[in-house]
Amino acid sequence: MNNKEKYNKSFIDTFSIEKNALNNLEYNAITEWDSIGHMTLIGELEKTFDISIETDDIIDFSSYEKGIDILKKYKIEI
Amino acid sequence: MPIASSLLKKPKLVKKLKAFYDYVNNNDGKVGTKTRGIDLNFNNACNLRCKYCFTNSPKGDHVKEYLDYDAIANLADQADELGYFEFDLQGGELLLQPKKLFKVLEAIKPERFYMYLTTNGYYLDENMAKRLAEANVSRVSVSIDSMDEKIHDEIRGKKDSWRRAMEGLKHVKKYGMDPYLNITVGHYNAHTDHLKQLLDYSKDQKYKTLLNVAVPAGMWQKAEDIICDDEDRKYLRKIRKDYKNLVRNIWNPFDKTNEKILGCTTVNRLYITPIGDVLVCPYVHIKIGNIFEQSLEEIVKFGFSIKHFSNHSDLCLAGEDKEFIKKFMTKSGQTIFKPALAKDIFSKEDFI
Repeated sequence: MNNKEKYNKSFIDTFSIEKNALNNLEYNAITEWDSIGHMTLIGELEKTFDISIETDDIIDFSSYEKGIDILKKYKIEI
Repeated sequence: MPIASSLLKKPKLVKKLKAFYDYVNNNDGKVGTKTRGIDLNFNNACNLRCKYCFTNSPKGDHVKEYLDYDAIANLADQADELGYFEFDLQGGELLLQPKKLFKVLEAIKPERFYMYLTTNGYYLDENMAKRLAEANVSRVSVSIDSMDEKIHDEIRGKKDSWRRAMEGLKHVKKYGMDPYLNITVGHYNAHTDHLKQLLDYSKDQKYKTLLNVAVPAGMWQKAEDIICDDEDRKYLRKIRKDYKNLVRNIWNPFDKTNEKILGCTTVNRLYITPIGDVLVCPYVHIKIGNIFEQSLEEIVKFGFSIKHFSNHSDLCLAGEDKEFIKKFMTKSGQTIFKPALAKDIFSKEDFI
């Protein structure tokens, strides 16, 4: 699985959504992406990519697209 | 765009919630002795007369006492230091006294917490919802007993309760806070259409449903027939998987399979009364300290020195563990204002 597929899978598994729901997906746009969902997603990404995401980045991680930018900081290219 | 009370605008909350997530993850999915939430009843007066009230408010129990703002501010500061990340304001009914309520919120400094209110919704109009969102409240939980208006109003003891509560939830959603529909499930209603209708409605409206099991406490003390049995618990496990928006404090909220048990959260979630007594949870009326006499840290340490509260339990002690209920919750007159004292009710073997 390449990084994009892993990234997508993290969202799909965490929120039980389809792939076509990922584009432009934002925090709080769906019921599942609430504060608990957010932590679960972050945890899933940390496990998937073997990284530890800083608090400031957890706060900035407000959308599917923003997350792609943030992961570059951790040398993960999506 | 996230609203002011959104998680993403509360850096302190993010840090604490992440710490909680990491702890649970590293502790085999269990809550252990990690601090989680404060449930504060700052005044016990209420406009309704619910048949199963656990605080005995319908009996007028201590309805004139208020926890003062300085004490609340001090409590919130200590709770923040100890890593408590949820802060639930309860009553009584908070929206009866909005001036006091907003002063309380100011004292708590909600930007540090996942701040929420538990209300009967009677006074939760649009203006109130707007004000709560502006005051950094993240969530409002509204208690609903049935989709049948007459049944709900009869249980609550006041006409128009249901309509106002249902409208209130819509206002909560409109102003960007998390709307939670609170339900109580016991042996008397676990397998009924009433329950299913509530679950379906909440799911259709995209709310979360908070499930509390019926506990034999308060107005229901010694009502053993309400306690969920094994079949009821099996059913609750089933509906947990059917309804992804269904939550329970005892369930692991991070588990995507909707199966894992966090454990009973006595002491992880503390209940504070209007006179400053600290109980191990809203439904287990056992006192482990008073905020005017000890620091919160001392109280928590004492609480977790008791095996029943530090050891993992898959069952809710107050609502499902019949042995615990019989032994520790049936003292005559045991209420949130006359709790059993932990130092008296437990023997040496009950301590670590």
